[in-house]
Amino acid sequence: MRAHRVKAIVLRYLFLFRRSYDRLTDAFYWPTIDLLVWGLMSAYFQARNPGDTNFMVIIVTGILFWLIVWRGQYEITVNILEDLWNKNLVNIFVSPLSFWEWVTSFIIIGVIKAALSVSFASLIAFLLYKISIFIYGFYLIPYIISLILTGWWIGFLVGGLILRFGTKIQTLAWAFVAVISPFSAIYYPVSVLPQWAQFVAWFIPTTYIFEGARAIVNNGQFDIFPLLLSLLLNIVYLGLSLAFLRTSFNQVLKKGLVKVY
Amino acid sequence: MIVLEAKNLTKKFGDFRAVDDISFALQEREILGLLGPNGAGKTTTIQMLLGVLTATSGQVSYFGKDLATHRQEIMEKVNFSSTYTNLPWSLTVKENLTFISYLYDLSDRGAKLSELSEIFNLKQLLNERMQDLSAGQLTRVNLAKAFINSPKVLLLDEPTASLDPDVAMTIRKYLLEQRADFDLSIIITSHNMAEVEELCDRVIIISSGKTIADDTPDNLAKTIELVHVELLIESSLETALSYLNSQSISFAKQGKRLKISVKEREIPKFLQLLMEEKIFYKEISIDKPTLEDFFLQVTAKEIK
Repeated sequence: MRAHRVKAIVLRYLFLFRRSYDRLTDAFYWPTIDLLVWGLMSAYFQARNPGDTNFMVIIVTGILFWLIVWRGQYEITVNILEDLWNKNLVNIFVSPLSFWEWVTSFIIIGVIKAALSVSFASLIAFLLYKISIFIYGFYLIPYIISLILTGWWIGFLVGGLILRFGTKIQTLAWAFVAVISPFSAIYYPVSVLPQWAQFVAWFIPTTYIFEGARAIVNNGQFDIFPLLLSLLLNIVYLGLSLAFLRTSFNQVLKKGLVKVY
Repeated sequence: MIVLEAKNLTKKFGDFRAVDDISFALQEREILGLLGPNGAGKTTTIQMLLGVLTATSGQVSYFGKDLATHRQEIMEKVNFSSTYTNLPWSLTVKENLTFISYLYDLSDRGAKLSELSEIFNLKQLLNERMQDLSAGQLTRVNLAKAFINSPKVLLLDEPTASLDPDVAMTIRKYLLEQRADFDLSIIITSHNMAEVEELCDRVIIISSGKTIADDTPDNLAKTIELVHVELLIESSLETALSYLNSQSISFAKQGKRLKISVKEREIPKFLQLLMEEKIFYKEISIDKPTLEDFFLQVTAKEIK
């Protein structure tokens, strides 16, 4: 693993980021709109029910936490798509760049842009509603780690599918992460889900994070076991998704990198 | 010294054999032309040589090392340029060359980019986005990209397509200089036969995935027996036409000019016969067979 080659790919996506209105919109505009719409709605409901003082905190921090998952997966899948749209895979893989250096660059660019996006959205949340993501204190760090791991394995899974089937399934880059959102119980407890959906929910690492975050806000209690379970599930899924991405890449090499688009 | 060797390269897509058991070696400082009609297997071969397409069977090695097991070490000294692959469209020329430069272990990236900008006349284009460049400008950027790591082996797919003749000539001159100064070896595909004749020490012709010829451009051209004798005939044109028809000699007529196909060794006898038949010509030119003639002959046979 050579740092300068990882830097090459990170630079390639950072150059794109500052030049692409699409990418800038995704990073800053939509999180702001989400915070405005959902934040104002939750403010309205909380005003109608003044007894539930935590409702708005749960909604707004839920938006911020989900943003971490979304940015993590989005950076991986959309950056893979960018190279397919530009037919650039051949250019980068006729160099000494290795598959794992390529993957590492996605992770680094994902962290950079998730940090930018979430910091910006957190600032907006604080300015608009006086709600700070730092209310979770020290637990924020493992929560963020677990959430971004979820984003990565979803990103690598969808990236592997896109490599295999091409840009005709590119909508998954935006749509796939939404599939797990209802089961993740971002804004409501798992107990409101139907029985079968609750069963599914416990296989999704983010469920434990959002349940844990609500427990901190509602009761001031932190349970380490769900967090560890979330991390463990994420590590297993990340390993599987990377193996899937690698086999997808090998499949593409059998067709030729020129032919993947 | 052999810098690149392909052994029994085969690529099958389902039942279709795109490349069928091709073997060849590229010597240091050699410029090898890879020719063939569209769909012959040239691009598939080049992709396998670069490791961006897995061969069904066979082996590629550079500098005596297997590409499959020494890819990173090998690709530091190899590069590629094609008119048919893109660098990211929304990035500027400078951004593209900068990020590509970081893919290689270079000591002074800034100096290398300045040098290449000068050679390929890119200084005015550095801040232009790729999407705003003309086809010729894109080709120049692609070539600059190919020289960014000062390669020892360069694979070029139609490198001068879309270039103005003067720029194409400058590029060919640069390739020859690089070969002379830095022992560069090159594999080149081109549809410009004059360019191949000028640049290449050796030519491999591929058709239907198989090697059908492998020799110097001169030797290949010499295998063509027929040459074209062009005559400008003024007063005895009808006599000439009836004579050529009666002898079943192949010819093409354009005004008073006749382009006649004759075996090279029979030219003196043919001209003697014209004299005897009182067929007088005002001008004569003899076109020796070229690589293009050979290419057309062998690929036509293959298509049949």
